[in-house]
Amino acid sequence: MYDRDVVISGTGVVSPLGDDPARLMRALAMGSRAFAPVDGFDFEAAGLDGRDAAAIRDFQPQTYLGDGNLRPLDRTARLTVSAAALALASSGWDDEGVRSDHELGLVLGTMFGSVHTIAAFDLRAQTAGPKYAKPLDFANSVINAAAGQAAIWHQLRGINSTVAGGPTAGLKAIGTAADTIGRGRAEVVLAGGAEELAFEAWVGFAACGWIAGSGAGSNTGVRSNNGTRDAGDGPQHGAPHPVPFAADRNGFLLGEGAALLVLESDETAAARDTMPLGRIRGHGSAFDPSRGHDPEASADALARAIRAALDGAEMNPAAIDLVSSSASGSVAGDRAEAEAIARVLGPEVPVIAIKAALGECLGAGGALQTLAFLAVAADGEAPGIAGLERVAEDIPLTNVSRSRRRLEVRHGLITSLGLDGNAEALVVSGGIS
Amino acid sequence: MPSSAHSTSGSASQRIGITGIGLVTSVGTGREIAWHRLLDGTSGISPVRSFDTSAYSVNLGGEIHGFDPAPFFEHLEPATVGRASQMAVGAARLALRDAGDLQTAAERCGVVMGTTSGEPREVELYNDEVMGGRLAQLGGGFMRRYPCHAIAGTVAAELGLAGPNSMIPAACAAGNYAIAHAVDQLRAGRADIMLAGGADAFSRITYTGFARLGAIAPERCQPFDRGRKGMVPGEGAAVLVLERLDHAQRRGARVWAEVAGYGLSCDAHHMTAAHPEGDGAARAMADALVDAGLSADDVDYVSAHGTGTPTNDRLESRAMARVFGNRTCFVPTSSVKSMLGHTMGAASAIEGAVCALAVAEDRVPPTIHFESADPECALDCVPNVGRDMAVRVAMSNAYAFGGNNASVIFRKVA
Repeated sequence: MYDRDVVISGTGVVSPLGDDPARLMRALAMGSRAFAPVDGFDFEAAGLDGRDAAAIRDFQPQTYLGDGNLRPLDRTARLTVSAAALALASSGWDDEGVRSDHELGLVLGTMFGSVHTIAAFDLRAQTAGPKYAKPLDFANSVINAAAGQAAIWHQLRGINSTVAGGPTAGLKAIGTAADTIGRGRAEVVLAGGAEELAFEAWVGFAACGWIAGSGAGSNTGVRSNNGTRDAGDGPQHGAPHPVPFAADRNGFLLGEGAALLVLESDETAAARDTMPLGRIRGHGSAFDPSRGHDPEASADALARAIRAALDGAEMNPAAIDLVSSSASGSVAGDRAEAEAIARVLGPEVPVIAIKAALGECLGAGGALQTLAFLAVAADGEAPGIAGLERVAEDIPLTNVSRSRRRLEVRHGLITSLGLDGNAEALVVSGGIS
Repeated sequence: MPSSAHSTSGSASQRIGITGIGLVTSVGTGREIAWHRLLDGTSGISPVRSFDTSAYSVNLGGEIHGFDPAPFFEHLEPATVGRASQMAVGAARLALRDAGDLQTAAERCGVVMGTTSGEPREVELYNDEVMGGRLAQLGGGFMRRYPCHAIAGTVAAELGLAGPNSMIPAACAAGNYAIAHAVDQLRAGRADIMLAGGADAFSRITYTGFARLGAIAPERCQPFDRGRKGMVPGEGAAVLVLERLDHAQRRGARVWAEVAGYGLSCDAHHMTAAHPEGDGAARAMADALVDAGLSADDVDYVSAHGTGTPTNDRLESRAMARVFGNRTCFVPTSSVKSMLGHTMGAASAIEGAVCALAVAEDRVPPTIHFESADPECALDCVPNVGRDMAVRVAMSNAYAFGGNNASVIFRKVA
């Protein structure tokens, strides 16, 4: 599929469980979960009972960005620019001399950019009058603002794109960037995703009944108009925190974060004598026109995406050692994802689900899942699915585990099923090749 | 720089054609009516009706009055989707009709759409609930309609297209980004057909923002004119049907134009202001020419970004001079934003359609409201009257908040 190899030469991550991959993986291996009550939101006005999310507490972008002027950056941009700083350092592309011959690119996945920035801009204009709306907020109201801010901060002058698609956005971004490099259009591209924990999104997801404990747990839901809360088909009272694939799962909790991979051509990596962390082998993308209303069509879409990714990688399903899934605790979503994985790879393939610990971090999810796979490939230890007591009967997977375990892993499949039709799969190999 | 490995001068399986065009604009819905009104220099700009502008010092907009989505919807209920999605479905439905029988499976047909703001009216409705103390009664419609990827999703759901689906919110260059993404998907063999376009709905959020930047023209939009006073926010949607030329030829489709190449770059300079020397814009144009295997001398017509703000048009002219040199003032370069206003994420998709039609019919639309030349914009902006002229190669330029630059090149199919 690619005309030349696309390697991963570095990673950067800012997450509720740590800001370097090793620390994040230790936390996942220990079975830590990031969910805790969040302060600062007007839950009462929104009529929300649950207050738990996987937020990054005490996020200090100065730690990564020094004394620069952070004022123009909203939270999504700060997360993005911080992860980019870590990714550039990790890959060696922070070195001015190394960079002098190359324009670095960025493809960022996000669901919202910052829905909070947009809403705050409008709310101020409506309450104080349009003359009091802040021009700076308007500059950040565009959905590509974080990618633009990262370009300015880190002088990324190559291809700069933002890809949306709900929770699948991150894998779409990585796939797009890999195409760009694999087909000779760019040499070095940062790719991944970012999402801030936004109250507006929280309220919106809860109104759909998708948040765990919000009274429903299905992302098939019911077609609804404004003014009526959806009644999903999930249990009304489930586990206190969402557990992917669990019998009593009833929705997800939101998370936040940013994760970026540094992708480059194998020639560029070899020329600067760098040791790749892995390779992007192929990706596949498909859509379910029922947008989740027909669970079978959702599974079909993801199965097609997985097969396309394997075809692109010229690999058989049997070559996949581990699946890093996007399962989040969603009743219908987890089932459709498990069904698609089992259908193409067989029910015995080992599957991890890091949203058990990090929550539904939307645009950041795909890159975090990829990072988790790379760590397993490097260390030979796979994290368990925190809190998993009993796998639901509707989940056709036999190789999911609550506890961490040793796994020899070389080739991985990263899967993501969106909330409304998007399906994405990525084949990644760990190690040098 | 792009390598020659993916130059479009290669085999028909790597060459991409445009076989369908759908337009929803303030000068008309449908390819033929919109195109002829643009050629005639018709303005779609009028006083804003969708919200009260009395608190603003300006009141012009490029709204589409009385747009009825119903004729374009066969499966979904139009009221369950946002306005940008409604317009996108309209443009997509028209583009598919224009393209004829696709002769391939739904799984081989994908969608990629660009936007600046997605469905900003849904955030406005959310805020109306906040201000009314009714947030606890917010329904599920907000989350189903608002996320910008709902635009591409709605198009695919309504038209039953099950291939790769992407939303590229690359602000005011998003249409060109979407076209570029579709070209890559087709060249990689991920789909046989890609619908690529852009959509943005008129909104108080966008209007307020540009008003606060002092960017909105008080009376008319006059790109490249010495007396230009700003841009006018607009709305609309355009969708192009893209496919490999060999696929188009096999099914006997009419090919409006070939997408010969594209170039993308980032200024990495400022969120809302272009690079003072037009650096990124010039790199995008140069990369697009390399990608297409063409030189600047081959370009017959340029569809400018041409917003009508004093700064944009000056810096855009400077960037063009870096690429076209002494020939700059002899390359007809017009801006349909003089008629439609700035339709945001839809703009470069609409302008892509304009370039494809210019190449197909050897006619180019004018820049209207032109009165006096600006020495800092030394271009032939096709003032006021459209022109019949040979157009073998057309270049469409778009620049965006965030410093995103995108150029796409269209070529006559031999």
